Amino acid sequence: MNIISAGMVFTRGSGIGSFENALHEGWRIPGEVEYSKSNKSFAYQFDQTTIRDKAVLKKMRRADKLSKMAVAAASEALGNSGIDDIRGKNIGIITATALGAQVTTFSFLDDIIEYGESSVSPTTFSNSVHNAAASYISMVLGIRGPVMTVTRFFFSFQSALQLAQSWLNESRCEFILVGAVEQYGDVLAYIQDTKLNASPDGRILPFNLNPAYQVPGEGSVFFLVSNKDTDTALCNIEDVYLDTYEKESEKPDVNIIDTDGLLKDESVYAESLSPDIPTAAYSPVFGSMMSGSAFNCLAGALMLRNRMLYASPVQDNPHGLNIVDRTVSRDIELIRCIRYNCYENKAVICLRKKQ
Amino acid sequence: MSNNNVLISGLGVISAAGRDLSETLESFSTGRRNAGPVTLFETSLPYPVFEVRDLPEEFYPEHQRTAALALCAVNEALQDARLGEDLSALRVGVCMGTTVACQLNDLDFYTSYRESGAASMGPVDRYLKGNIAEFISQRYRLNGPALTVVNACSSGTDAIGIAMSWLKSGLCDIAVAGGADELNRVPLSGFGSLGIVSRDPCAPFDRDRKGLNLGEGAGVLVLEKADSAARRGISSGMRVLGYGSASDAYHLTAPKPDGAGLETSIEKALSDAGIAPDKIGFVNAHGTATHDNDAVEGKVLAKMFGPDIKILSTKGVTGHTLGAAGGIEAVFSAAALREGWIPASAGFENQDENIPIVPVRERTEIRGESALSTSLAFGGNNSALVFGRGRKT
Amino acid sequence: MGTEGVQDLARIRKTLKELLVKDLSLEDITPEEIKDDEVLFGEGLGLDSLDAVEIVVILQRNFGLDVKDMENRKDIFYSIDSLARYVFESRKDSVSDG
Repeated sequence: MNIISAGMVFTRGSGIGSFENALHEGWRIPGEVEYSKSNKSFAYQFDQTTIRDKAVLKKMRRADKLSKMAVAAASEALGNSGIDDIRGKNIGIITATALGAQVTTFSFLDDIIEYGESSVSPTTFSNSVHNAAASYISMVLGIRGPVMTVTRFFFSFQSALQLAQSWLNESRCEFILVGAVEQYGDVLAYIQDTKLNASPDGRILPFNLNPAYQVPGEGSVFFLVSNKDTDTALCNIEDVYLDTYEKESEKPDVNIIDTDGLLKDESVYAESLSPDIPTAAYSPVFGSMMSGSAFNCLAGALMLRNRMLYASPVQDNPHGLNIVDRTVSRDIELIRCIRYNCYENKAVICLRKKQ
Repeated sequence: MSNNNVLISGLGVISAAGRDLSETLESFSTGRRNAGPVTLFETSLPYPVFEVRDLPEEFYPEHQRTAALALCAVNEALQDARLGEDLSALRVGVCMGTTVACQLNDLDFYTSYRESGAASMGPVDRYLKGNIAEFISQRYRLNGPALTVVNACSSGTDAIGIAMSWLKSGLCDIAVAGGADELNRVPLSGFGSLGIVSRDPCAPFDRDRKGLNLGEGAGVLVLEKADSAARRGISSGMRVLGYGSASDAYHLTAPKPDGAGLETSIEKALSDAGIAPDKIGFVNAHGTATHDNDAVEGKVLAKMFGPDIKILSTKGVTGHTLGAAGGIEAVFSAAALREGWIPASAGFENQDENIPIVPVRERTEIRGESALSTSLAFGGNNSALVFGRGRKT
Repeated sequence: MGTEGVQDLARIRKTLKELLVKDLSLEDITPEEIKDDEVLFGEGLGLDSLDAVEIVVILQRNFGLDVKDMENRKDIFYSIDSLARYVFESRKDSVSDG
């Protein structure tokens, strides 16, 4: 399947352009946050005022931040399709989220604690369900195809892509908006800093492997995918390997690894790397998220389209890995995006230059 | 691969109506309704619920009730499919719908964090191990795809639809698919605030219906490619013939009054199955007993299948089991086709003059070789499955 | 109704308008711009079924009122005027009961 177009929001703004800028500019220190009453830490938070398309926000006055991020990203992806009558096509929606509307869920629990079980807000409850974001996308963009929300922690995004491929192959849909969304919250920061290694200086060190440091992020990436092709399509998704052995394929030009400190020890990634293939990792520009794979996948797609190799934003390299350390023009053919989960299972997304 | 080659080789179900399929069929034939006050947690809410009693302990991972319910149903379905404990030589996927198990909504954990800024990580660890599909995949060491569908009340139906896609695209040869959800105070409180929970046992499609009752449980099908079943020496006449899904794009909580999304989803499921509406012997309706759901659903079913189509809602004996509902009702639909009868639609007494259709009032023999099961979700998604019975292959 | 009653009603209307704008996340409208007799649902302010149940919670939390059997009490939800009158009357009842 092909990535026809994409849309995104993240800590450094809204839109693909802001992500390309961030890839060019490199690392910036994340904002400081406070949790557990007085603990200070870092997080990559999204500023909702950067959403340019105010019209979509008008159609979702009740929505929470998670849903607004997803709608903004999906709306941009659809808008960038370059296909005139795209809204009239048979489009499905598959939203991947590892943690869903946890922030709104906690505010619903606040309601129960403060006002009692019989005086809780029905709007807060409605926004707290996992599929609220996908529902808003469907309502705001007027999409009447199948609308699905799926979750599998680290492999949420890869699973969604795999399903999109199946649906396209059986002609269930002609186009699919498939993407990921995650939100930052103080409870999440508390959990991550308790269970994992908090970054002391706000830097995720993606090549450090062990110990691995995390900085919570938030945002959304959506892709419009199809088996059709267009002049402006970004790249081809050749394969998604998940819960299965990866087919031996030709040597990729770049490996992008999803290291972001959400495994306390990321040494397992070393198995997938090779000294003669340069490795990149972009989590330091968007933060640690279980479905952060979608952001790295977008970076890969942009590299293929822009014929550009983007330097890894944080380059501490204690193991002497072959890393992408400079931004240079390069005609890239094949990229592997690699993610491991807590059971040390591997998922690989193979991105290929459009033929 | 055609849908005709997707066999149902095993069924497993647990709900307030019974802890396995035979207990459930027994409840169906006696018309027993096990609704009562909440006993699983402290609550001031006055709603009757359908709880599962006497959950077998061997299936009870500590404090993971949804996982326990899922394991019960999966275990029964695997045994029914004559699949043993070691599945490592087969390519088995698992796709499960849920609503509760995907949320970190442990009130004790959160209260502690709120008050003291710290909390035990126990509930978090259980949550991170409790992604229901991943949990089952780990437990049975499956080596096919694993995915949890969190599509509110159509999750179970969608999970089965997704599993069919996996089988057709060759991602696995066997798939365990359905849904599981526990009764939990957070959704009970939430649905209560929406004003759609009844203080009496629910009455789907009835003129005087006052809302839904929540329930809990799990329902699981083992779906299998015909060639895989043949290799294992298994035969089954039961099939999932088609799946369709479409969105209302209308409202976060209310169904579209004209039911256009539901109608499209049924059309897609029938076309996926390659059968005409008149081949449908009965419809296991979503039938939550809320004012809006039953009005919309009744209208659409009457329009598409005529006012004489046999329909029932099994929520009168299970309550609304949310993410499990589609799985549980898929098991009921397949079992009813196999057994050749459907029970009376529990809770129904008087026709609503705004609903041009009446559910079955008594045990009814089924004619026809196919059945339809529908699910309407919060957020406007609608999904439908078509089941078939035929020659054993 | 005495002067005190009239003032009380006016206060309730003002509070209700503020609560609606805030708790229903109404955009492009200030509390002052909502007319006392403006239809709240469908036409007029354009509220929907989810807003209706949210208003029930607003009445519960801010005025201690428990609206049962909403389906048959649609008259209460017609406008700010009708909501305010309901709040006013219910409070009067509970005072005289007490």
